[in-house]
Amino acid sequence: MKVDGHETEAAGTLLDVILALGIDLPHLCKDDNLPPIGACRTCLVEADGRIVAACHTPAAAVQEVQTRSVRAIELRQAVLRLTARMHGREPDVSGGPRSGELWAAYAAHGLERPSYPSRPRSAVDLSSPFFEFHEEPCILCGRCVVACQQLQHIGAIGIAGTATSARVTAGAAVAFAESACTACGSCVAACPTHALRPKPLRATHRPGDARGEEG
Amino acid sequence: MEKKVRSTCPFCGVGCGIVLHTRDNRITWVDDDPANPSSRGMLCVKGRFGVPFVEHPDRLTTPLIRREGRLQPATWDEALNHVAEQLLRFRGAFGSFASAKATNEDAFVQQKFVRLVMGTNNIDHCTRLCHSPSVEAMLEQLGSGATSNSYTDYEDASCLVLVGCDPGSNHPVIASRMRSALDNRGTRLVIVNPRRIDLAERADVFLQPLPGTDVALFNGLARCILDEGLEDREFIQQRTEGFAAWRAAVEEHTVEEYAGAAGVDPEALRQAARLYARPPARRGLPASERPGSCLVWGMGITQHSHGTDNARSLINLALLAGQLGRPGCGISPLRGQNNVQGCGDAGCIPDSLPGYQPYTDDAAALFEETWGAGIPRKPGMKATDMVERIASGEIRAMYIVGENPLLSEPNLAHAASLFRQLEFLVVQDLFLHETAELAHVVLPACSFAEKDGTFTNSERRVQRIRPAIPRIGQSRPDWEIIADLARRMAPRVGIDPRQFAYGSAEEVFAELARLTPQLRGMSYERLDREGGIQWPCPTPDHPGTRFLYADRFPRGLGKFVPVRQSRAAAELPDNEFPLVLNTGRVLYHWHGGTITRRVAALVEQMHEVPLAIHPRDAAELGIAEGDAVVVRSRRGRMTASAVVTDAVRPGSVFVPFVKLQESAANFLTNNVYDEPSRIPEYKVCAVRVEKKRPRPREVTGATPTAWRGT
Repeated sequence: MKVDGHETEAAGTLLDVILALGIDLPHLCKDDNLPPIGACRTCLVEADGRIVAACHTPAAAVQEVQTRSVRAIELRQAVLRLTARMHGREPDVSGGPRSGELWAAYAAHGLERPSYPSRPRSAVDLSSPFFEFHEEPCILCGRCVVACQQLQHIGAIGIAGTATSARVTAGAAVAFAESACTACGSCVAACPTHALRPKPLRATHRPGDARGEEG
Repeated sequence: MEKKVRSTCPFCGVGCGIVLHTRDNRITWVDDDPANPSSRGMLCVKGRFGVPFVEHPDRLTTPLIRREGRLQPATWDEALNHVAEQLLRFRGAFGSFASAKATNEDAFVQQKFVRLVMGTNNIDHCTRLCHSPSVEAMLEQLGSGATSNSYTDYEDASCLVLVGCDPGSNHPVIASRMRSALDNRGTRLVIVNPRRIDLAERADVFLQPLPGTDVALFNGLARCILDEGLEDREFIQQRTEGFAAWRAAVEEHTVEEYAGAAGVDPEALRQAARLYARPPARRGLPASERPGSCLVWGMGITQHSHGTDNARSLINLALLAGQLGRPGCGISPLRGQNNVQGCGDAGCIPDSLPGYQPYTDDAAALFEETWGAGIPRKPGMKATDMVERIASGEIRAMYIVGENPLLSEPNLAHAASLFRQLEFLVVQDLFLHETAELAHVVLPACSFAEKDGTFTNSERRVQRIRPAIPRIGQSRPDWEIIADLARRMAPRVGIDPRQFAYGSAEEVFAELARLTPQLRGMSYERLDREGGIQWPCPTPDHPGTRFLYADRFPRGLGKFVPVRQSRAAAELPDNEFPLVLNTGRVLYHWHGGTITRRVAALVEQMHEVPLAIHPRDAAELGIAEGDAVVVRSRRGRMTASAVVTDAVRPGSVFVPFVKLQESAANFLTNNVYDEPSRIPEYKVCAVRVEKKRPRPREVTGATPTAWRGT
């Protein structure tokens, strides 16, 4: 097969082939070690004249792929803009290695970062001692759900509701601390926008804590 | 400055790959490593969020010497010269504990120091308290003391049998891999546990035996297999010996009698036997392959006064069903500490040299030639014996690295009274824990995040750790401290100090690999290039070994050993102490808690010791969920917070052995031991539980003493 004019071996999905060639293509809902979800549509490419999501299109059925055709780029720009509209104010935090992918893709597509007002969904869950969930920057990509269900096989996280009322929830819409969550942090690691973010790592500081003498 | 360093998780024996992210030399985030074949991009709460202990302000930063009754800061020279002088006085009455949390390199240098400079084989580590019965039984029956297969075999198996273990709490990433097999491949699951663990919800068969009746239960399973002709006759004939005598012993009782003794339903027992011996093929298994079963066990098997018999009865089952030597089957004792496999591999056990090589002439000759001196040939004392023999004066001085026996030994009050009798105690660790407080000299060691080295995980995979932050205070890697001490002592006992002139952990590993056939093909260069390698790996071009025993057992034939159920436990309930105490672990703390009590989020998650009690017993005792309760045994008392649940059997209570708020289950446990492994019976003792009475206010109304003052 050919990708952007390069001859290459057709193995796995189109996204696998494209990334193996070192071509930069956004894939906001696809983790390297998790199965594809196909929710974010930021990996749209032109395959034999059709627009497809690279993450879940088998490479074997395709002869020619263009990642940089005008049509593909314009569609990805549109998808990225729509995604950014779901994203509320930028949180003032760092940490979580895969965060920042949305804005990196934005920059790579020549888009200016928007300054949208915060969107109506703004639930905050601070119940876990280990991490927090702030709904505002959540783009509903589903990576946390897949990390919980298909990597760790715990199933504590889901997406409830549809369309504009869709939201990430723990258990049957309870707090993380009340759910089946075991705080493995795979969702935090997978989140591309800091909606799930670690609490600062810290040791116990009062000497009494360590001795277990505190009340 | 931001950095990312690939390393290996320091908590349980799963050995997950981690990536330590640091900014300005502080750890900011712990990432998973999708390229690690043991963890495949997974971590649990302890690995992901539990690492801040390395930066805790309690970290020891200088050596301490006891002067005028108090531990006071000293220089390294003062401390090591003092230790050298003192230890020379106690050759012949000396014992040492190595650390299953330290590296293979640390362990290797320590056993070399003990054997060469101290002239004794009195070296051991916490395997004595967790899987020594498994190792004894595996060595006796198969000839090798390690897990036979790999984690990937849990996913290839058609049936998983989990006995006396709770992977969801103690080996969470293994639990995830098992759930993946159940979800994706339709793997069958049998659980044997006196406590209904989380995974039991997913089980096809859940057997909840009476405490201490394991041999009856597994003989019963064997009897079912024999009765229904499900045994693997070809395997028995070609690969084993002792079958007829063992069969005769098993057939002394019927399935109904065995089930009755264990308190389980005979029909459920039969169903479990069928699933283990002949499971239906999992989804996707090629038709040419025989469906396999993995037999996985934990300390529910080993920590009994008949722990070795329990392990033997499991190995007998694996031999009977021929569930060994192929992908997707095998036997897996789950290891509790990050490097408990490696610490034994590197020679920190009293009855063999590195690589489990015996003290015979030809094996010892290579060591003596390399080390340029004779080594003791008499097997040393086991850890629990060293402690008990402080009383008789056979042990007068000890050197303890990275262990806190005053949390982990049974009957802590008794253990503390023994440790106080030591004439000289050196403790080398990260923190001034309960045992260190009794020491004459305390030496500050580096954590895993500050040094180079290797850990060996539960599937025999040797993996690298690498420094991510600078050494805290004046702390040094364990191997470096011991080598420095050894160089000071060596000339006084006729040893060439150059034997301890290592310049790096890599040099230590090279010597370990050269002397140990199973590791001989490994080097840092290979481990850095290829990632972790599973032993045996005898040559530099050997890829490592996924499963053992394909064609033969190291001892030749696998050996059936007849075992009969003995008294369930040394101490059983009576009128005064009517309940059975079972101990174990929890997800949010690690073992005794020396480390996890120093992580704020883990303490927030669990800050008091829970006691699980059946609703029937709770009602009789007037105890409600969340009540503070006092638990007493003949040896001590503790307080706990009641969790009323039918996950435990009526008549039994469960308490994890983590120490929180000065309360620990090991104040209660019984210091009786299994022969031949000398493991304590942590899993069964008799206790009494009552609701804690509130302390009367008026008595505590006086001004606290500390405020009276001047």
